[in-house]
Amino acid sequence: MRLNDGLLGALLIGFAGWVWWQTSFFPAFPGQDYGPNLFPRILAAGIALAGLALLLRGLRAGGALLVIEPWVRDPARLLSFLAIPLAAGFYLLAATPLGFIPTAFLLLAGLFLWFRARPLVALPVAASVTLLVHWFFAGLMRVPLPRGLLDKVL
Amino acid sequence: MDPILAAFGLVFDPFVLAVIGVSAVFGMFVGAMPGLTATMATALLVPVTFFMPPVPALGAIVTATAMAIFAGDIPAAMLRMPGTPASAAYADESYAMTLKGQLNLNMGVNLVFSVAGGLVGVAVLIAAAPALAEVAINFSSYEYFWLACLGLTCAVFLSNADPVKGVLSLFIGLLLATVGIDPAAGFPRFTFDNVDLISGINFVPTMIGMFAISELLRGAIDLRSAPAAIVQQVGNIFAGIAPVFRRYWFNFLRGSVIGTAIGALPGAGADIAAWISYAVSKRFSKEPEKFGTGHVEGIVDSTSANNSALGGAWIPALVFGIPGDSITAIVIGVLYMKGMNPGPTVFLENPQLIYAVFLIFILANLIMLPLGWAAIKGARQMLRAPRNLLLPVILLFCIVGSFAMTNSLYGVVLMLVMGLFGWFLESHGIPVAPLILGLVLGELLEQTFVQSMIKADGAILPFFSRPIAGVLGVATVAIWGVMVWRGLRHRPALVPAG
Repeated sequence: MRLNDGLLGALLIGFAGWVWWQTSFFPAFPGQDYGPNLFPRILAAGIALAGLALLLRGLRAGGALLVIEPWVRDPARLLSFLAIPLAAGFYLLAATPLGFIPTAFLLLAGLFLWFRARPLVALPVAASVTLLVHWFFAGLMRVPLPRGLLDKVL
Repeated sequence: MDPILAAFGLVFDPFVLAVIGVSAVFGMFVGAMPGLTATMATALLVPVTFFMPPVPALGAIVTATAMAIFAGDIPAAMLRMPGTPASAAYADESYAMTLKGQLNLNMGVNLVFSVAGGLVGVAVLIAAAPALAEVAINFSSYEYFWLACLGLTCAVFLSNADPVKGVLSLFIGLLLATVGIDPAAGFPRFTFDNVDLISGINFVPTMIGMFAISELLRGAIDLRSAPAAIVQQVGNIFAGIAPVFRRYWFNFLRGSVIGTAIGALPGAGADIAAWISYAVSKRFSKEPEKFGTGHVEGIVDSTSANNSALGGAWIPALVFGIPGDSITAIVIGVLYMKGMNPGPTVFLENPQLIYAVFLIFILANLIMLPLGWAAIKGARQMLRAPRNLLLPVILLFCIVGSFAMTNSLYGVVLMLVMGLFGWFLESHGIPVAPLILGLVLGELLEQTFVQSMIKADGAILPFFSRPIAGVLGVATVAIWGVMVWRGLRHRPALVPAG
């Protein structure tokens, strides 16, 4: 999915306007001319200028507002793309209730199988990588990975 | 105790040496895998190094990046796929040599001149950094303001992207840096009453998202149907190096000097160094018609340049706290996390740490020779590593690494959002490296800018009245002028798009 430069520029100008509007709520300090809103406003102006340049370029070049690339129309390739954010989303939802070890194992095994690894390879690799990562980060580095279901065992 | 002796003690410690060894193997592997870059190697290392003392942490990053930049040459020659963007400039030339049956010579040249170029970069770093630090000790907010401006400007000016989009990426990064408590008045900005945002946009999950997750997203699309790579076996790589060196020693020196200089310029790194030195080599060659047909001359220049750029990039990073490329941008983040604010005072307060970095650089370049030889010999096996297993494992590392930085799921959310955003930007031709530099330098830039504005009471002239600030300021403004002029005339960029 690709936006036309013109559309991208218009969105950026809108975004810059929103940033400027937000800065109007920042407090001013009496006797101090250069407060917390100065720098964000300069940046908002810069983004708006870049947006304007893109808008003008897009209008001059013309073309479709939105180009859909071929892989988006192919369900398998689209799902392959979405698999990464879906897997991360799954981790966000499941890590606390299930704990790191079951979540990481399911995440790896699911992705391996989707990307066509043989189950005989996928499942043992998923299990050993999960345990290795857990040993390294939770054991060696003392990162408090969520324990979840295995709280009593660990 | 003498700081140089202390540095030897810090580096030649069994734990530090073990970390260097493991990072070297890791860097070789990541660099040799097409699609995994040296910056990504650094991004994945940061959560691990976070828990180490400064010397092994820096050692891991220095070693892994040096290996990765060389290892990128291996798949470039064998598969015509550069392992890292730094090898893109001469991937076609390398592959043409392979087709002519000169794979052995090509690998030998790449390895030997990478090591030699890397050592030149280190030598310049060792000579230049302490001297520059003595000058930098007298800098005021005006000088730092201009240095930050110059660094950010070079990042846009030298990149091969569209200048408008480069500036845009930079401004978005600077804007992201304003999230959280503002440095002048202590007011929370753009936090929307969210507790996590008050501490700002954490830099490590952002970087893991931008450099690793966005790469995974691109790689995942065709992963189900990716064919296995077929690679030639390599013979004796060191035969024929001596004649190449005798014939092209000047190319080697020129490439290394250009590489170090471009690396030292804030904002431009190994990939740009390789492009420019390849172009210079062709321009001044006696036989430019041979370029592109598998001619070794341009490879000597550019393979020396990209490794020497690594050492060069540390000069501004250590001396001014201004990153020379996206890798040292990460390093600066790491230094801040360790409570060592980079800048000239480190040279006074902790000289042994600086010497330790120098030693690790020399060591890393020396072990590159045997390890690189092993990597070339093992390339057949390495490049056959199943990507459908590798990508999910990298994803898990990214998630755990981001979690470890914040000890909460906020890190993972930030990584995912930034990964999708980075992918969106890159698919619209907007480079992400300026954004990361902006995020790292944003606070310094704003602080020095507001300080200078208050000192100058809003006047412009004091920004230029100190001699060094004046030179830096005029140089920066001149580059802005060139950029506007180039933008108006729609001239193609200096470097072809890679």
